[in-house]
Amino acid sequence: MSEGAPDHGSETPLPTATRSQGGRTAPPPRSQVDGPGARDERKWVAAARGGLTLEELEEGPWEVVVALERWRPSVLSLVHALRFRLATLWGENAHDGDVEVHGIFLGGAECRGVHLRVDLPGAARKLPSLLPDLPTALYFERELSEMFGVTILASPDTRPLLLHERHTAPPMLPAGGEPTGVRAPFGFARTEGEGVYEIPVGPVHAGVIEPGHFRFQVRGEEILNLEVRLGYTHKGTERLFEGLEPSQATILAESISGDMSVAGATAYALAVEDALRVPVPPAAQSTRGLLLELERAAFLMGDVAGIILDVGYAAGAAEANVLREQAYGALELLTGSRLGRGTVVPGGLARPVPTEARAEVERSLEGVRRGLAGLIDHVHDQPSIMDRLRGTGVISLEVAEALGLVGPAARASGLDRDVRRDRPYGPYAHERVRVRVASRSEGDVEGRFEVKVAEVLEACRLARHFLGEGGSTSGSPIPSRSAQTRHGLGIVESPRGEFLVALRASEQGKRVLTRVHVRDPSFLNWPAIEYAVRGNIVPDFPLCNKSLNLSYSGFDR
Amino acid sequence: MSDGGSGRSAPSRTEPNGDPEANPSSPVRAARSTSSSPPRDATSGIFGPCTTKAYPQGPAELAGMGARTPWHDPGVCGGTGACARACPTEAITIEGTGRGARLRLDYGACVFCRKCVDACPTGAMRAVRFFELAVRSKDDLVASHVAGGTLAASAAPSRDKVSREIRERISRLFSGSLAVRAVDAGSCNGCEVEVSALSWPAYDAERLGIHFVASPRHADALLVTGPVNRNMRLALQKTLDATPDPKFLVIAGACGISGGPFRRSKEVEGGVPPSDLPSVWVPGCPPRPEALLYAFWLALGRVEQQLKNGELPPKVGGSSLR
Repeated sequence: MSEGAPDHGSETPLPTATRSQGGRTAPPPRSQVDGPGARDERKWVAAARGGLTLEELEEGPWEVVVALERWRPSVLSLVHALRFRLATLWGENAHDGDVEVHGIFLGGAECRGVHLRVDLPGAARKLPSLLPDLPTALYFERELSEMFGVTILASPDTRPLLLHERHTAPPMLPAGGEPTGVRAPFGFARTEGEGVYEIPVGPVHAGVIEPGHFRFQVRGEEILNLEVRLGYTHKGTERLFEGLEPSQATILAESISGDMSVAGATAYALAVEDALRVPVPPAAQSTRGLLLELERAAFLMGDVAGIILDVGYAAGAAEANVLREQAYGALELLTGSRLGRGTVVPGGLARPVPTEARAEVERSLEGVRRGLAGLIDHVHDQPSIMDRLRGTGVISLEVAEALGLVGPAARASGLDRDVRRDRPYGPYAHERVRVRVASRSEGDVEGRFEVKVAEVLEACRLARHFLGEGGSTSGSPIPSRSAQTRHGLGIVESPRGEFLVALRASEQGKRVLTRVHVRDPSFLNWPAIEYAVRGNIVPDFPLCNKSLNLSYSGFDR
Repeated sequence: MSDGGSGRSAPSRTEPNGDPEANPSSPVRAARSTSSSPPRDATSGIFGPCTTKAYPQGPAELAGMGARTPWHDPGVCGGTGACARACPTEAITIEGTGRGARLRLDYGACVFCRKCVDACPTGAMRAVRFFELAVRSKDDLVASHVAGGTLAASAAPSRDKVSREIRERISRLFSGSLAVRAVDAGSCNGCEVEVSALSWPAYDAERLGIHFVASPRHADALLVTGPVNRNMRLALQKTLDATPDPKFLVIAGACGISGGPFRRSKEVEGGVPPSDLPSVWVPGCPPRPEALLYAFWLALGRVEQQLKNGELPPKVGGSSLR
């Protein structure tokens, strides 16, 4: 659908893969993604001379340090020749004012992680951009630039990402810097031409929704372009982790995106356990699995309700919300918190879940499963609903792949990725747990709707499996000191997709967190909405939006 | 559309204690007669019986470990400070140690994680079933105890500063119909889950005359969540200014009251700044939907304030606290 949409005037020709870094003009960021089309692997292998080879990775240590001049070829060879994908990039303050840039790349048969690091000496802090060859890197590079004062060389888009006009000093540098001062206004993409007009929306939206700003370029009813500006909920959360003991920071991990509290807490706990080598009792893992799947069922029921509501079928949405309430009720029975908060902690669980609640939770799961099956039969019979979903908000496989989408949005566009299956962790590492991953190829709202419905049903099945495992004990103590200082990585398939926490702890009298980086799935998925709405009509925007259900807070942190 | 619902199984929802006929305005019931499908009865179609909960007109239905609030009994407190060290948001602070130590418990900063309860060696910190925590003045959220002292010694009258005249005016103007505009001033979106839940059949705030509107120009009250981060401060002020007088505020969640987990960040204001507007403060992380309904009813003068000077009412969850 995006192909048929007339592009606005400022678009430039598609970049080619082998284009040199120098002398590029500055096109708007999204135009790159329409690009490379057919990827020629041989060309990439040739282009990536000086890059990494598979042998080098297999023999090398977990953290591969590359020289600055090898950064770009290394990343591009990993992505384009070895078929890894960029999961996250983050900065860290090293000694004597240097900034380290770390990247996690996932790929290979077991979705193994490759951890690349490049050191930027204090004075210069310059990094060559991975664009246009790796569109996924855009937001990461913009964040590195504003948070750590890294100059991204030859970047097509150097606008701030999370910090607004009143910020100046890079807040993640040791000196910190009060967010004061005024910088140049944010330059939105403009469209000109007869009958073209602009609709600004937000940051305060019309419903019970988080804040963000949307700038639509429209002709008649048709959306020519959408640009999203976020950062309105930026809370400096990553910085708040620093200096805390691992056991104190769970509430921050739960507050990255509050509607995915269990996933956030679990990813954080896995990262701490990875860094400090904390064993977790299998029973506690299986209870985590139960809570994760209950959260998924509750969350995705909300998406199902939202999509049905946004086609104007309030009664069907009410029914879906009845089922959603049942899932939240089950979470509360087990944890005392409707969002499942305060239970998953590093080392295991804060306290056992009550065994007497089992039968009631089982009944709720069966209620959700049967209720949803009945509702969906009914919805499928309503042409006035299905007609609105079909062909609306298409995200093609090429766009999904170029943006590095994750979660249901990726799976609805034919990108069959789910770390529960591909990179099993905690509760899913057991061989008895087999996750059936739903995927579709249409990439439209209907595809996402169907994937989400299937995932609620599968979540109910998995939750019952974990319920049957018994489970529930509390956990292992976290060692107050240990000789090793290393990074820990936690990756969890949250309801929105892959949720990643990378952290480092070190000794300062006692064990404290020195850097925690959180990459919410919405950080990767937000650009997808800009593609999904192109060529659609304005009244279908809420539908596209709800089918993606992106987290503002998860993006902004 | 053709088969009229035959062959479909009904969802096996268990009906809570409420009487399904007690709520004639439930959207689920209404939908049964207006749906484009042929009418279905409760056992053969997708639309089951009414699931709207009785609260606040009837008692709250609370199950399992739900709705637990930390409560401190100074009588058995040894002043160890374990609770204060375990608290992730400094909702509990302590001066001195042992008997005679001064303990401060701020429900406005509490995230209800119950770490203090787990950490307490003497059983002085307990989790009790209670959620009607909303107050009209922030001061009423803070309990001040002396370890080894008595509750009676810390009992003091409410610090409610909102005058009777204003309370009566709000009640007279808005208790028939209240239009609320929700503003997220940088929350983690946990509060939004529970605010949205007010529109689900289970809570159905509209049956109480409380409805959410799309524009501040239509609103009588603003429901504010989040720690008010710097990037949202201006938008919040503009929304407030756009709301016609007379108006009042409902500030929901630990973030809006105190900054919550984010109170130490340079990027946030640490909660909604003080204003002259009548306000209701709703503790919780997030406040459960019933706690929000209670807060609206408190604002409208339909219920009495329960939390006074940081002290829960003497009888909580059917049992005596003393």
